[in-house]
Amino acid sequence: MSLKSYSRGRAIHVMLVYTGGCNGCDIEIVNCIFSPKFDAEQYKVFLTWNPREADVLVVTGPVTKHTEKPLREIYDAIPEPKAVVAAGACALMGGVYKNIHGDIPSEEIAGPVDKIIPVDAKVPGCAVRPQDIVAGLVSALPLLLDAD
Amino acid sequence: MNIAYSLIAVLGTLMVAFIVSLLLPGIERKFIHARIQQRVGPPITSPGIMAPIKFFFKQTIDPTSPLPQLYNSLPIISFFVVVVLLLSLIPQMYFLSGLASVIAIVGFLKVEEVMYMFMGSLSKSVLSVRMPFPDIIKGAKHVQTPRTFLEELSTLRAFRLIAFGSFPVYIALFVSVAITGSIYLTDIVAYQQLNGPILFTVAGALGAVVFFIGYMILLNEYPFAILKTKADVIEGPYLEYAAKYRSYVYLTRGFLMFVLASLFATFFLGIAPNIFNPSFIITIIIALLFPMIMAVTSAFSPIFTYKQFYPTVAAVSILGVLAIVAAFL
Amino acid sequence: MDDNIQNRNVIESEVPMGTVHPAALEPYRVRLFVEDEIVRDAEITVGLNHRGVERIMEGLPVEKANSLTEKICGICSNSHIWNSCLVAEKALDIQVPERAKYIRIIMEELERLHSHFLYLAHGSEVLGHETFSMRLYYIRETVMDLLSMIGGNRVQYGASILGGIRPRCELDEMRLQQIKNGMDLLEERTTAFADRFVSDPMVMSRITGVGVISQKDALRLACTGPTLRATGVAKDLRTGMKEYDPFEFDVITQDGGDVKSQLLMRVLEIPESIKIIRQAIRELPKGPITNRSWEMRDVNLTKSYIEVPRGTLYHSYALEEGRVRNCVIRTPSMSNIGAMQLACIGYHITDAQLSIVQCDPCFTCTDRAIKIIEI
Repeated sequence: MSLKSYSRGRAIHVMLVYTGGCNGCDIEIVNCIFSPKFDAEQYKVFLTWNPREADVLVVTGPVTKHTEKPLREIYDAIPEPKAVVAAGACALMGGVYKNIHGDIPSEEIAGPVDKIIPVDAKVPGCAVRPQDIVAGLVSALPLLLDAD
Repeated sequence: MNIAYSLIAVLGTLMVAFIVSLLLPGIERKFIHARIQQRVGPPITSPGIMAPIKFFFKQTIDPTSPLPQLYNSLPIISFFVVVVLLLSLIPQMYFLSGLASVIAIVGFLKVEEVMYMFMGSLSKSVLSVRMPFPDIIKGAKHVQTPRTFLEELSTLRAFRLIAFGSFPVYIALFVSVAITGSIYLTDIVAYQQLNGPILFTVAGALGAVVFFIGYMILLNEYPFAILKTKADVIEGPYLEYAAKYRSYVYLTRGFLMFVLASLFATFFLGIAPNIFNPSFIITIIIALLFPMIMAVTSAFSPIFTYKQFYPTVAAVSILGVLAIVAAFL
Repeated sequence: MDDNIQNRNVIESEVPMGTVHPAALEPYRVRLFVEDEIVRDAEITVGLNHRGVERIMEGLPVEKANSLTEKICGICSNSHIWNSCLVAEKALDIQVPERAKYIRIIMEELERLHSHFLYLAHGSEVLGHETFSMRLYYIRETVMDLLSMIGGNRVQYGASILGGIRPRCELDEMRLQQIKNGMDLLEERTTAFADRFVSDPMVMSRITGVGVISQKDALRLACTGPTLRATGVAKDLRTGMKEYDPFEFDVITQDGGDVKSQLLMRVLEIPESIKIIRQAIRELPKGPITNRSWEMRDVNLTKSYIEVPRGTLYHSYALEEGRVRNCVIRTPSMSNIGAMQLACIGYHITDAQLSIVQCDPCFTCTDRAIKIIEI
């Protein structure tokens, strides 16, 4: 195992971007990192708020019209290699806002996340459970380890 | 033979100092913060060693900055200045008499602080003004005001810290000067070999407390971290650093922790850092102990705004001046 | 907001704080107009969370519409679905069984507990105190365990349905015992934490006198909930709701209107909620938990107001052929935005962020379409 993949597996910086959902998934992700019960730091996952420092971008929320361009800018600002994790039903397929099949659909949503940026791991749930978020991050890891 | 011996001493000390400094952020995070917050915490090597190595293997991007090459070279200059600071403490380098004196050390520390100002004024990250949001539209307030980036706020704060935040460290260093009567490191170390460590006098004990507060201010550690509060400036001057330049930023911070602790050992205990000196173990122990005490203090305090910062620095500086006066009595 | 600046308050520059920011749990944009790091004016822009919920609800069958309102917010989800069910029950004259009413109150008070703990944890994080923040998240986990035991999910548990409570949320002896133990544990840990918090001089000096909202301003801007009670006005809609008639609790107020009063408000409201839950468990009446014998008919616009953790919530809709028409929802954070913008003026930028967070913003709840009737 080369030094490159070993070090990439031992220090993972995660950035969280919320794009207009109901906020339940964001609180569960903050719980996952800040709550001593779940504590993602023991899995060598650190939270950062700076896209230049991040390796993995975790996106929650159906992307509303005003948050589409900020999401793209932040994604472009992250240096390679990077991975994107879409967490929650809203990020995966628009959640309940696009799929309740009422008479009048919503026009405010620019689509689930994979219409805007490429997604590597998908974590379902409404709201997503803290245990599943760590599992989702770990499943996105092999893409980072050997990428050049 | 003499020159080879000196060369081995200098290089060896630098190596040992660097290796110990790689462990310091991990010890701070795992043994102190995680225990106090009742959680498991990362492995010791992760924040200090593995994170800088990982950053070396990331893509080097162009930082958004008016002078990107100058901005990228600033952490390297910072690291170099810390190395020179440690060099001036090693006894084999005392022949450079002017550079191995309190005045030179104060100068090197000042350069470290000025670096934050330069970094902050050259960084233009995406997280504030450049976020693509329709701000200047019909109905918006005050559309004619000039817009500043978050890093420029950090620069202003760094400027204020240069003005008053460095008083405690400098006053503490001058306590040793007042007791020994000379500004040259050779004399300070020699005096303490004869008369015992300055730490065990009244003036020295007060000076040590003042030095510790100054140590926390210089490293921007939690109560005094107004330069990089998460609540408004996010990361402050470091926002546009990516890939290997961010590694330099991480490594400089750990190394500065070690060098400041060995500064304390030299000025207050009379131990000059030198791997052929058996008391170097005490320097390493102090270098491990200071970040631990600092981490305990930072785990239990919020961030101070100017309303609390000014009185704290004023009180600590007055304590330092009292220590100097006590040295003359 | 009127745009007058006095001549002695010069504005030098603008610091925008973006859509994504560590001090903000939701996307919103703040533009602070500063003079040498003191805030002279502020502008908060919301609207990034607008998903068009009222538009989607137009024409949905009423049970489906009720379950959609729960997804408006992840923190106060039970409040929305309870209020939405109350509108239909009021319109169609459905009698809710006594046992179901008590269980609904238990769920609402549990939600108030988890919301207040989250507010305190986020406030500590904006203060810079990571240790307190982590301790509060840990204490909050007890409430989350209880919620997931009763409802099946940690967030958005869907307890209320039209006519009562969902059968899964029935409270048998074992669950009641768990709730009782949970309340005892919570009370002990909260008192210990509150003592520690109030006796810490560094934290107290940081929050006293910061972000002051005067009582006159709070009444003029129509604030509701704990934000209003922290300025000394004793208005709590729970004293007027007939669902809360069998319960005894105190209405907490604080004077001062600064960050310290706001934090202490939530800390002191937590034992009141524990008191209500304990009374509800002790006096839980027996009987059915759902009433399915009612008939659908067309009704005109019906309104309902309840008190939720952040203030007064308003739902209204009309029913036509079993479908929802003309739904309007107004959440308490909408009223508190004016106070947020006013509270940060005159303080240092770091304190300004604290002043915005002190009013417990929940912008995901707030982004509805607004019709301005009169200026």
